[in-house]
Amino acid sequence: MRRVGLAAACLVMVVACGSGGGGNNQSATPKHGGTATIALESELRTLDPLDSSLLVEREVFYNMYDSLFTIDPSLSIKPGLVKSWDTSDPVNYKFTLQSGVKYQDGTPFNAQSVKDNITRYKTTANSRRKSDLASVSSVEVVDDTHVTFHLKKPDATLLATLVDRAGMMLSMAAVQKGGQNFSLAPMNAGSGPFQFVEWKRNDHLNLTKNPSYWKSGLPYLDGLTYRAIPDVNAILAALKTGDIDIARTIAAKDVAGLKADSGFIYRSTPALGFNGFELNTGAPPFNDPAKRKAVALAIDRYAILKNINFNIGVVGYGPIPPSSWAFDSNEKIYDHANPTAAKNTATGFSFMYKTTSDPVLQQLAQLMQAELAAAGITMNIQTEEFATYQQECANHQFQACGVNWSGRIDPDGNTYAWWHTGGDFNDSLYSNSQVDAWLEDARTTTDQAKRKQDYDNAQKQIVADAPYVFSVFGVSAQISSTKIQGFTLYPDLMIRMGEVWKS
Amino acid sequence: MLTYVLRRLLLMLPVAFLVTVGVFMLIHLTPGDPALIVLGEDRSPQAIAAIHQQLGLDKPIYVQYVIWLGRIAHGDFGRSITTHQPVGTAITERLPATLELGTAALLWSLIIAIPLGTIAAVKRGSLADYIATGITVAGVSLPNFFIGVVLIFVLSVSLRLFPFGGYIPLGQDPVESLHHVVLPAIALGTAGAAINMRFTRSSMIEVLNNDYVRTAWAKGASWQRVIFIHALKNALIPVVTIVGLQIGGIIEGAVVTETVFTWPGVGRLAVESISDRDYTVVQAIVLLAAFSYMLANLLVDLVYRWVDPRISYS
Repeated sequence: MRRVGLAAACLVMVVACGSGGGGNNQSATPKHGGTATIALESELRTLDPLDSSLLVEREVFYNMYDSLFTIDPSLSIKPGLVKSWDTSDPVNYKFTLQSGVKYQDGTPFNAQSVKDNITRYKTTANSRRKSDLASVSSVEVVDDTHVTFHLKKPDATLLATLVDRAGMMLSMAAVQKGGQNFSLAPMNAGSGPFQFVEWKRNDHLNLTKNPSYWKSGLPYLDGLTYRAIPDVNAILAALKTGDIDIARTIAAKDVAGLKADSGFIYRSTPALGFNGFELNTGAPPFNDPAKRKAVALAIDRYAILKNINFNIGVVGYGPIPPSSWAFDSNEKIYDHANPTAAKNTATGFSFMYKTTSDPVLQQLAQLMQAELAAAGITMNIQTEEFATYQQECANHQFQACGVNWSGRIDPDGNTYAWWHTGGDFNDSLYSNSQVDAWLEDARTTTDQAKRKQDYDNAQKQIVADAPYVFSVFGVSAQISSTKIQGFTLYPDLMIRMGEVWKS
Repeated sequence: MLTYVLRRLLLMLPVAFLVTVGVFMLIHLTPGDPALIVLGEDRSPQAIAAIHQQLGLDKPIYVQYVIWLGRIAHGDFGRSITTHQPVGTAITERLPATLELGTAALLWSLIIAIPLGTIAAVKRGSLADYIATGITVAGVSLPNFFIGVVLIFVLSVSLRLFPFGGYIPLGQDPVESLHHVVLPAIALGTAGAAINMRFTRSSMIEVLNNDYVRTAWAKGASWQRVIFIHALKNALIPVVTIVGLQIGGIIEGAVVTETVFTWPGVGRLAVESISDRDYTVVQAIVLLAAFSYMLANLLVDLVYRWVDPRISYS
């Protein structure tokens, strides 16, 4: 979820850059056997991709279910359950499926199964995948291993969308057998490296090795145990006591200590999200563009990176992070803090900044308060309980609201919903017809060079107009004991255990 | 006696009704929208509206209340808004963990409180009394989350004597289960121990000044007989009251401790459900907590009679 996955994930996620890129870390001979315990920073709500909305859920799904497409650490689209594809016709995507794949319940994965899954995601009442698949009008079964996705209009983001939950394939027989409790106990529903055993909420979730996994020789581990530990300090403690083997997040302040400890591995790669805060363009004082610009000029991103994030991550200039092919390294409209320029733009006004009680977010708010004061701008801090804050920000009842974004593989996921007029996350009520046109064009054009140009243009305009003040780009990290081997680090924060082994 | 119990049980009904009104209004009037929580990063105006309709949140609040009251009158607490798990299952699944923790914490508090309280009363003004009083002040003053964090840091992370958090059911592995419950029980029970000790001490002092105790001494009864048979049993009446309330308060007492120790009990479920605005679960847990208080009160009144035969329920 956006804010939790942010307050908890991104902000803390803004852990360490500089310690190497993505990819695999070790190169010894893999060993079969053993189990690994993984920390989740919040409890799951569902084990069904259909109604999932949490980052931690996706992380578990990637180990139970296979998607139609996968990514490599550089975010290129790679084969998954789809072996090869032809997207030369922009409204009829032809996919060739892997043959011989079976779900954990023994039923075959085939073209009919793809059609049934997509239909289920598109039509079930409580499906959260409807907007992901909005561009798909129908799925045609050509033969057992060929399907055609008929689109309402060209959609350049579809393959990236099918990497995630909307592309995860489940055995329909298992779904029907699970009935109303399927989301709590998806028995043998996937085709992934591990299969469901037991979920005791607030305690543990156990998965066991899929003995008939279609990728021969995998997985190496006999099973996985997930434990929800909702406090970053407790996650570190559990890592140190050996109660968990791997985690996604620890507090930024603890990263240096863990790096120095030879019993642990800490590696990171730039993540997909962005951090910063929204300014409400629909109400005073930020309906005045000059005041938004003044705030963006006065914020010291380098001080935030150093003091709040302990130099983990990099300074953020816009919505598209360095991990993306659409990243524009030349866009630095607001770079170092410039209180003089801010004062010359607008000064002497005050506003209310909404945030939650997380101690790190409180420190961030106080730091920005001091930075803005240097430009003669008074920032008052309003601390709210999460659900209240979330509701007020979503309903545009704010002047400034600290919100981060966990990010998506395709740059569309970091831009369209946020700054297209009427977008689902456009809390700031930002509207610019030129930006709308660029974002729409980038959605429907398959030429990547053209898309990059659209995103460069849109990003420059959004950053300059400052409906959102960007501060820091975070990282995706491997935080584990040295026993964890063969782990591949991806920018999307997901802990994929299919090829991991324990020494 | 039976008539008394029945009368008390009947009197619970209006209290329970008021509790339903209170809990329903409080949670529904608290800002926050469960639809936004449920949807997270996948929200859209259509999806929000669909969830509001599905949960009946688009109806006036009094209509929602009447529907809910009708359902719980039939024993249907509904399903969790966030996980779709039946609320009854969600709670009963976690109740054993909370009961084990609560019982262990209570035992810890009594093991500490009664001997120390008795010593402090008998040796009033002595060093032992001052030490016991010091422990009391510390126990009451230190919040249980702080005690929990210190215990985790010292005994779990540094000395590795106890596991960090987690719960093993008693039936599955009794030794490991007790090993896991020690730290959270100490964290949760220490404040109760301090209070119980203070009550034991003051009540004991009062009893020791009674004429019948003086008579017992004068008769030449042994000190063990005077302290334990004549004095302590009578001194425990106020302690029974306070312990009874502590039993009733196990669920809310466990809220913080369960979160610190990642203990999968009802307390942690309550915390998560409140922050998720999972109305159905919160309402059921508060009702359960209220009922356990009412039942504990009744139980305390019945135990009085055993402790002090002069009390009659006729």
